[in-house]
Amino acid sequence: MKSRRLLIVAGVLSLALVVATLPFVSACGPEAGEKTLKIGITTPSTGKAAEKGSPMGHANLDCIKYINEELGGVNGYPIEVVWLDNAYDAAKVVTNVKRFMDEGCLMFATASSAMMTASMEIANRAEFPGLACFNAPILHRPPQHIYGQMTDYGDDWSAFANYYMENIWKGTGKPKMAMHLLNNSTGYGALDASKAAADKLGIEIIAIEEHTATTTSEMESLTRIKALNPDVLYISSTPAPTALIIKNAYELGMYPGIPIGLGHAGITKALVDIAGADIVEGVYGVFPTANWGDDVPGMAKLIEYCLELHPKDEGNADYITSWAQSLILAEILRVALENVGYDVLAKGDVESWRAVETQGIQKLDGYDVEGLESPVSYTPGDNRLGKSLRVFQIQNGEIVPMTDWIEAPLVKYEEFEWFGK
Amino acid sequence: MDLPAGIRNFSYATDMAIFRTKTHWALLLALLVILFTAPLYWGNYWLGVANLIGITIIAATGLNILLGYCGQLSIGHAGFIAVGAYTAAVLTNRLELPFLVGLISAGVAAGLIGLIFGIPSVRVKGFYLAITTIAAQFIIIWVINHWSSVTGGFTGISVPLASIGGFVFKSEASQFYLIITITIICIFFAKNLVRTRVGRAFIAIRDNDLAAEVMGINLFRYKLLAFFIGCFLAGIAGSLLAHWIGFMNAEQFSLTESILYIGMIIIGGLGTTIGPILGVVFIRLLQQVLTVQVVPFLESTVALPAGFASGVTPMLFGLAIVLFLVLEPRGLAHRWMLFKSAYRLWPFSY
Repeated sequence: MKSRRLLIVAGVLSLALVVATLPFVSACGPEAGEKTLKIGITTPSTGKAAEKGSPMGHANLDCIKYINEELGGVNGYPIEVVWLDNAYDAAKVVTNVKRFMDEGCLMFATASSAMMTASMEIANRAEFPGLACFNAPILHRPPQHIYGQMTDYGDDWSAFANYYMENIWKGTGKPKMAMHLLNNSTGYGALDASKAAADKLGIEIIAIEEHTATTTSEMESLTRIKALNPDVLYISSTPAPTALIIKNAYELGMYPGIPIGLGHAGITKALVDIAGADIVEGVYGVFPTANWGDDVPGMAKLIEYCLELHPKDEGNADYITSWAQSLILAEILRVALENVGYDVLAKGDVESWRAVETQGIQKLDGYDVEGLESPVSYTPGDNRLGKSLRVFQIQNGEIVPMTDWIEAPLVKYEEFEWFGK
Repeated sequence: MDLPAGIRNFSYATDMAIFRTKTHWALLLALLVILFTAPLYWGNYWLGVANLIGITIIAATGLNILLGYCGQLSIGHAGFIAVGAYTAAVLTNRLELPFLVGLISAGVAAGLIGLIFGIPSVRVKGFYLAITTIAAQFIIIWVINHWSSVTGGFTGISVPLASIGGFVFKSEASQFYLIITITIICIFFAKNLVRTRVGRAFIAIRDNDLAAEVMGINLFRYKLLAFFIGCFLAGIAGSLLAHWIGFMNAEQFSLTESILYIGMIIIGGLGTTIGPILGVVFIRLLQQVLTVQVVPFLESTVALPAGFASGVTPMLFGLAIVLFLVLEPRGLAHRWMLFKSAYRLWPFSY
């Protein structure tokens, strides 16, 4: 009876502790009455995509801290962030975006394409502009109010396929490509691109296998692929399943042997950490941002903040993408401020959202993102703000660039009869 | 139902009534007033949370009929919700049928699929039945992902806003009224169902299926009926979810969700009408507090080891379930009953 009472008291105290800490959450923002520019950011910092979402959330907030503390905000106005974890859960991200709209955020940003997919309909209906860090064709084809910070998963496939044909493939005839895809927009964005362009590039797609984000073995699917004797394997997935697939391919003797190419959601430091540097040695991948430690203007501050605030994220390419995302968000606000003034943005309603979209996002013209990704611009009809990417290769555990920026042409997927079906 | 001292039932009708005293009616009225005036003082965010809670209550009520009253364990409930969601999405998007047609069809489609996967319940029960319903979860999601010409496959499918007679439920407040009305209807239906012959048959099967059969209850019929009704409500919830979110893909209906539904009705209290309501409110609010308040707070202010904050949500979530199983295995509904009893006897404890 005593232990039961003790447990009840412990439970009540725990709940009381949680409730007691809540007021401090609101106390962490800018001081009351201060004129700010409010934005919403949601990342999957918990849940099954946390290995990407957690460093991305850190980078978003670290960069905003840098902008506010060292650059004096945007034209003197500090950026106020409403940051919410979505746990990679569609229902949660929907309520998150509603909260952003409720709290008068001027726009919102997501890390994963899947989470933007879940919330895009609500945002599009409300004309609430969103910026997806990782980007898939479904988010912006046809273009509405969601924008891609970078190229999409389809562009990854096209860039790798081009690189493969020009630099790796030495055989005759059509090379046979097998694809291993995550069962969501990350994987199937690449499939869309292969449907649209494989024939034109002279590549034969011989196998399309899919996996889940929580897969524990892909020996069976890889055995099927191996039986078809492919010349190249392309994986469009997140780091954990990608690492597993490469490990399985290694165990089956498929790799090294046939080249492996990865989409940008897969080739990160986390992949090397999970799979082991010797296993992933020589794997190719496509990524739309600078590499860790590159000699570009924005890298020094990024590394300084990362080492000071989140040293565990050092070397993680996802940290770079989200740091760049925050820089782009700040630039959008700067341009919008210059074009419409603070009073319009202060409303935090649909008028402000339209102003941010038409006078901020759509006025972006060659912003260099401090060299952390290719310059971002808005082109009418193309909601991808960054349009270039680079091919990398893992060498001695390091992710080494193999090309300069390659511009990915716009593919109007909606003109294909099969798109979305 | 327990009545305050001095109150007597003088007819069968009053004995069967759900609300029997002036206090009951006053509390009901107060609850309805609070609910239907909520959009006046809640913002879109909290209305969104309330909408999610309402939808989840409908689905959990369905599972409670199946598991709590009839004793048939289903670990594929999210799959049945997906059937409803996609039925509504396909009918209203591709065939442009009215919302209400989609809503009813979603329930019927999920119910019929539930019937198919319920057939093994005649021969197997307990963990064995759980495995067959897990199969339902995987098969349904696989079909949704690969029948892409209809469902949109991995890309997903957009779903138009709900509308009735030309009125479009565009705002969060209007969606709240729609969802809360349907939720109340579903709860009322479930409350009454368990007081009918069918409901008593469900309970008899749950308590001892052999004895129930000896008493003349057709196990095949009633078990399948429980699957149909439980999955019908899951389908209704799926339809509302689809129209509320506006875009569906199969990732939203994972096995984890199915297990979460079981957790909700265990925490709420199996085999009670109020159990799913309390369980859903508790879990959904706990999720909001943890992911929206606690994790951001820890991430931004406390120097914790890397990755610790990411693990806080599942840890606290698991802790809550363990505490309930240890301290209150009969769920929040039992606590509610104790509270009501104490209130009824107050100020006399005995």
